[in-house]
Amino acid sequence: MSTSVTTDPPDTGPRAGVLTGRSGLVVPALLVALGLFLVYGTVTMTVPDTATSPGPQVFPALVAGFCFLIAALVTVQLIRRPEPVELGVDDEGRPNTGTFSNWRSVGITVGTVALFIALLEPLGWVLAGAFLFWGVSIGLGGRRYVFDAAVALLVSSAVQLVFSGGLGLTLPGGILAAVF
Amino acid sequence: MDALSNLLDGFGTALTPMNLVWVVVGALLGTAVGVLPGLGSAMAVALLLPVTFTLEPTSALIMFAGVYFGGLFGDSISGILMNTPGNSTAIAGTFEGHRMAKNGRAPQALATSAIGAFIGGIIATTLVVFFAPTLASLATNFGPAEYFALAVFAFIATSAVVSDSVLKGMSALLIGLTLAVIGIDGPSGASRFTFEVPSLFDGVHIVVITVAMLALGEVIHVASKIGKPDDTTLIPSKGRPFLTRSEFREALPAWMRGTAFGVPFGIIPAGGAEVPSFLAYGTERRLDRRRPNPMFGKGAIRGVAGPEAAGNSTAGTAMGALLALGLPTSATAAILLAAFQQYGIQPGPLLFDRNGEIVWALIASLFVGMVVLLILNLPFAPLWAQLLRIPKNYLYAGITVFASLGVYASSASVVDLMFMLGLGVIGFMLRRFGIPLAPVLIAVILGPLAEDSLRRALAVSEGDATVLVGSCITMVLYTLMIIAVVFSAVTKVRSRRRVDF
Repeated sequence: MSTSVTTDPPDTGPRAGVLTGRSGLVVPALLVALGLFLVYGTVTMTVPDTATSPGPQVFPALVAGFCFLIAALVTVQLIRRPEPVELGVDDEGRPNTGTFSNWRSVGITVGTVALFIALLEPLGWVLAGAFLFWGVSIGLGGRRYVFDAAVALLVSSAVQLVFSGGLGLTLPGGILAAVF
Repeated sequence: MDALSNLLDGFGTALTPMNLVWVVVGALLGTAVGVLPGLGSAMAVALLLPVTFTLEPTSALIMFAGVYFGGLFGDSISGILMNTPGNSTAIAGTFEGHRMAKNGRAPQALATSAIGAFIGGIIATTLVVFFAPTLASLATNFGPAEYFALAVFAFIATSAVVSDSVLKGMSALLIGLTLAVIGIDGPSGASRFTFEVPSLFDGVHIVVITVAMLALGEVIHVASKIGKPDDTTLIPSKGRPFLTRSEFREALPAWMRGTAFGVPFGIIPAGGAEVPSFLAYGTERRLDRRRPNPMFGKGAIRGVAGPEAAGNSTAGTAMGALLALGLPTSATAAILLAAFQQYGIQPGPLLFDRNGEIVWALIASLFVGMVVLLILNLPFAPLWAQLLRIPKNYLYAGITVFASLGVYASSASVVDLMFMLGLGVIGFMLRRFGIPLAPVLIAVILGPLAEDSLRRALAVSEGDATVLVGSCITMVLYTLMIIAVVFSAVTKVRSRRRVDF
């Protein structure tokens, strides 16, 4: 489910460190980073002399201003009223998983995608794509490593046949293309 | 009767055997992607966009017509049978739909939802046929100030009114606006935020952003929940998938009321069908309480009929707003706008004059697509549900492979894949903290329009900001916006005290 229905936070009880329920501070941090990125880019921008009055810098500056404003407001809200931590059940009787995260799975999944990006052009689509499928499958709890590798090769080869052979997309051939 | 003869010509184009095949392919793909939890028609169009680059524009847009409604038909299948709505727009219909399924009335729930989606979609699309050209000619009076007001309206509506927290909605909006300003600035030619990387001169492509946020973000999100119990058992749907005459008569008024809710919301840039489908659900529930034998809570057929019809009628009129105003009112419409632009077609007031043939073929294929979808969904809904039996790890591994394929194929650039990974992580973060994704996409699509019209309006008035509220249309829009914000603030405060859903 892509959207979760949030309810008002219940009191989070005794276990409350400073950061408990406040991991959401990542969001204002991201906004501040975006704001700084925009300010830096706006200040260092080379504007051609031909540019007319409301120039290319006005809008990004506006957005940057709002980034800082909203970041401040979110921070204040989170400090005053932390988000709920995984406790209790929702109205459907299902356990409320809250912001629980399995970081190991996330790490494997993100790492696989990163490695795929690095390997795509040297290895070629068939091998890199198969690796992507295999790695994400493991990240999502697959434990039949050898069988999954076979499935992965099948999927990436099928994609190569249909989209490159059939629809004419250019996919990198990589080392397999060099061998054959 | 100009519209009718144009529409007939459109049917002439849409009903050629080859184009019919594309509608069916689109309907199949749309339903399949819709059935899968967490993916909707926005995703389906985004993934198909690069792949259809080699097709003729008419064929591609005809296929998107099938995908567009297919996603909405498919969404409710997983909601009813598994209690995991495929998309946020299917949540309202899931409450009673899943209860019906638990009581052994799954086929009836699926049929009610499919027929409701059909009725809502057909009525809304018919309205588009007659009113879109009028809307388009009205919109020729729009100047930069009006377009700026429309864009601001869309920003505020999606971020502040629709999402459950104003600050969360605004955060999402700002992420989208930041992405929107990257690239060469059109009017002045200045290179903005590109760090002289050539692949960034055209900005970050909307396909990369959508695929990253919606698909990869969802995959990482699902990965983060591995090891947590989830009780999503698939309820089998056995028996005749048709409604009896009395069931049909019971659902009919709810379908009609749902459609009435959905139609106006398609034209308002408010992010999609969440609001009307919940309004329809609430109305049916209130009406039900007054009946001698209340059915809500026990699997009420009207609780499925209303929201489903509302959802699809919103999608129908949203297409009208997209074609006539060039204004996407939902995430899916935003991606479709990118699809039009990929083929060098600019939706908006002039579209019906410039590309009349393609547009009418597209509208005709919406009708054809809906009939195809009814046929695909009414008897075969239980078959679609088999898709949900694919093991989770293969399903999401497959989605990742197709997401990467789509992104790489659109530009053959590894830089885009890196952006996909970065934005996918951000998409995961947004999901984790309950921040809505629709404002990001709306901001990316409408950001350039907002900036461009703001600058043009100010250039004409030589910096006098009052020009932005100077005309009748802009004043009406800003007034509506203020009313909407106040209204939603009041309802939010109220619902905090009394939880109705």
